[in-house]
Amino acid sequence: MEGRALDGSRAVVRRPDVPLRSLLPLGLFFLLALAFPFLPLGERAEYLMQIAFFTLVAGVLALSWDILARSGQVSLAHAAFYGLGAYGFALLGKVMPWFLAMPAAALLAGLISLVLGAVTMRLSGMYFAIATLAFTEVVRTIIQNLPEGAAGGANGLLVPALLGGNARAQYFLAFGILLLTALVSLAIRRSRLHHAFAAIRQGEETARVLGVSVVKYKLLAFFISSVLAALGGVLYAGKTFFINPLETFSLANSIAPLTTSIFGGLYTTLGPILGATVLRVAEEVLHNAIKNGYLVVYGLVLMLSILWLPRGLMGLLRRGKRGGDV
Amino acid sequence: MELFFQTLLNGLLQSGLYALVASGLALAVGVVGIVNFAHGEFLMIGAFLAWALSTFLGVDPLVSLPFAALAVFGVGALTYRVSIRHVLLAPELNQMLLTFGLGILLQNLALIWLGGNTRTVTTPYQGSSLSLGELSVGGPKAVAFGLAVLILVALYGVLYRTTLGRQMRAVAQNRRGSQLIGIDVDRVYLLAFGLSCALAAVAGVLVATLLFASPTVGLVFALKAFAIIVMAGLGNLTGVLWASVVLGVSEALVQTYVPGGGGWSDAVFFLLIFVTLVYRSYRGAR
Repeated sequence: MEGRALDGSRAVVRRPDVPLRSLLPLGLFFLLALAFPFLPLGERAEYLMQIAFFTLVAGVLALSWDILARSGQVSLAHAAFYGLGAYGFALLGKVMPWFLAMPAAALLAGLISLVLGAVTMRLSGMYFAIATLAFTEVVRTIIQNLPEGAAGGANGLLVPALLGGNARAQYFLAFGILLLTALVSLAIRRSRLHHAFAAIRQGEETARVLGVSVVKYKLLAFFISSVLAALGGVLYAGKTFFINPLETFSLANSIAPLTTSIFGGLYTTLGPILGATVLRVAEEVLHNAIKNGYLVVYGLVLMLSILWLPRGLMGLLRRGKRGGDV
Repeated sequence: MELFFQTLLNGLLQSGLYALVASGLALAVGVVGIVNFAHGEFLMIGAFLAWALSTFLGVDPLVSLPFAALAVFGVGALTYRVSIRHVLLAPELNQMLLTFGLGILLQNLALIWLGGNTRTVTTPYQGSSLSLGELSVGGPKAVAFGLAVLILVALYGVLYRTTLGRQMRAVAQNRRGSQLIGIDVDRVYLLAFGLSCALAAVAGVLVATLLFASPTVGLVFALKAFAIIVMAGLGNLTGVLWASVVLGVSEALVQTYVPGGGGWSDAVFFLLIFVTLVYRSYRGAR
């Protein structure tokens, strides 16, 4: 289905239709998320709100990673842009109000992603993965080795708390950003970008021959994805009000969105969000049980998904019927 | 000038270890066609085996080396049987992500079991040093380098002089062709993957004596091994040797001559990856 529509000139490309009915589960998710803070959560409300907050952030990360993956670029640099968002917010937050620092940090990460995207433009498969993995390590090394006055060095950095530390307000901000991410994802699904990304993913040479401007679309995917990931990083930094290079640029922050998307269902909007909800809660439960190594769930889920569930949760949901990817 | 030669020597010694890790990885990539992102975790297993044998049984790491190699060979072979084998024909992405998942799994199992602390192995020759004219070399470093060279010579001997080695190289060149002339490709894959893991474990034992054992010790070595095989060209087994020297020596140079170089030298491998990849891709080769 995908890519086949690209056989003609610009005028022939039809807008892909997303059946309204398939938006229902997504809408339901957001309704539930919106209602969550008003539920009677009992005495552990504060803790549950925190988990819910980070679930939303995990959703932002996973879905933004998926947007990049749709263009065939399976990146291990998501932690880098998440971290750049966090650091950008921490540093810019000192000189401007938060509602300016937030988009500025995201834009900064987006611009840096264009540099990485340009350099890795002609790499594919494992070369791309290795280059992006190395990029993350180097961004971390640079921040760690800059003078402490500049970015806190290895010790880390204090960050002004988002919205004065009001948990409920922070939650709704995260909710808004996940909603924004989902809307961007749906907009891509409904636009020409969807076809362009799919064509590039399925065969870059072919896409080029068909007249898709591969360079433009690959960079665009990088930019969109990194801006959103950086917004996730801003949320993280503003919530924890302390960041250090080791944790912020941890490989775990690249692994989690990747695993989540594959587990939830690649190239869909609902899949990564659903995956984030399941995995984040599983991670939290496990984290309570064991202090170290709770990421084991990501390794296991990744292996099992690849071996037995290549289309993820969405594949299970859609088994037997052919619907549009949402 | 003396400082310069000392730096060169340090770099060269370090590259022995790198070559060991990278040639294992090159074997997995070249022969089996699997980019093993869990390579560093097999190294980590080797390091912990050396630590455990030395701490609990008092076995010198150099004595436990063959046992660690054998044990991890088994683990590697098992890994191949239960997972890698099922994705050999799957898209490259799936293979990559599978080994990636395996790496995370192993690393976190180690974290659960052993905790995040680093553990050191003490050996009687730890503080010793050799002097070559004006230059001096730490004892363990020299031993590790000697061993690495020995093992690499043996490895290349096997690859170029024995039937199994020829079979491996044949499979690396053309899987179907090898099948047609009667090579048991599955067996070659199993052995090559096991051998690849065993090499990582040997490197791990050396890492335990030189640095320490910890659940995350493998990552940085795996990254550097990736840099090396990317420089050498995927699956190019001989290129691995000079690429290791390039990496080892350039790291040493940065450590000596760049102010605050200790921290920056960790970024050298990235620069090398980038330069090679960009050069390769713009020259048009894959």
